[in-house]
Amino acid sequence: MKKVLYIELENCIGCRSCLAACTQCGGHEQRNRNYVIDVNPFVDRQTMPMMCLHCENPPCARSCPVQAIQVHETGAVLSAMTEKCLGCQNCTIACPYGIPKFDVEQNLMYKCDLCIDRTKDGIPPMCASVCPTNTLQWVTEEELAVKKSQFRLNNGMMASMEDPYLENKTNVHVSLPGILEGKEKLF
Amino acid sequence: MDKNNKIPFDEDNYTHNINKSNERKLDRRGFMKTMVGAAGLFAVSTLPWGSIAATELMGLREKKYPKKEIIDVKKLNIGDAFEFAYPTDHDSALLVRLGENEYKAYQNACTHLRCPVFWEQSKSELVCPCHHGFFDVKTGSPTAGPPRRPLPEITIQVEAGKIVATGVKRYET
Repeated sequence: MKKVLYIELENCIGCRSCLAACTQCGGHEQRNRNYVIDVNPFVDRQTMPMMCLHCENPPCARSCPVQAIQVHETGAVLSAMTEKCLGCQNCTIACPYGIPKFDVEQNLMYKCDLCIDRTKDGIPPMCASVCPTNTLQWVTEEELAVKKSQFRLNNGMMASMEDPYLENKTNVHVSLPGILEGKEKLF
Repeated sequence: MDKNNKIPFDEDNYTHNINKSNERKLDRRGFMKTMVGAAGLFAVSTLPWGSIAATELMGLREKKYPKKEIIDVKKLNIGDAFEFAYPTDHDSALLVRLGENEYKAYQNACTHLRCPVFWEQSKSELVCPCHHGFFDVKTGSPTAGPPRRPLPEITIQVEAGKIVATGVKRYET
């Protein structure tokens, strides 16, 4: 049963539980790999989790001169292999979301690997397992299709998922906020 | 071209692989095993040459040559030479009597371009007239001129007053 991470951006309340979970996760050494950003700083309070979307054609891995960033069978783009990473920071420049972070002390890149030790066995990643508002959801493909169908407008257009990908095709699916016509949102 | 329009474009090579499942299986130990195995294979593959060399060195594959009478001892004065053909009629050879019981015989096709080498009695050396090659009569090895290999020596026996050719010595560097 292949499950995917689905991000319902409108639900985010900025509690930063995902950050705390990621920070305290074993092996992360008190460094978080996802971020909560203000959508419109100083304008409103809306926040959104910004985590690695695990592109199908990941620019970070493409830009890596030594192929230290590898794509797992599940589609997750892994963190840099420490034995390969040069610390050239190409990936941090290439990523359109600014996900890969550079550890100056170790001279290595680290990024979200979708908690691959958990998700390869179908267990949700830490951030999704702690999210109190269902912003981060660990859903099957069928559930995802149902969620997508809920956002159809009367004119058959897609409201929130007209352009379902921010930059390119990703394995993490995002519901971009849109105008909903009389649809009450179900989490 | 078309490769870049597929996302992700399919790559099946070792130099730009980013798929974890497509990672190379060759680690250092495997590499070392491969190298040592290849070295062993090469070592084993040289054994036939060793056996060939051994048979040659132990003389197990000596050519058999027919005995052939050349000339009576009385007919050949000391310092004279006599042309004959050995082992076949097409291999011209030269017999030189150097002393009372000292004979030397060589196949006299020059080792440069196979001109017939003759015996220059006044200078007591073997001369090839075509390009002025000179051979030492004692050993058959070249002393001057273009030839670089010795003339093949023919082994000689004296039997009942006749000089008999018994074989051709192998060429050895």
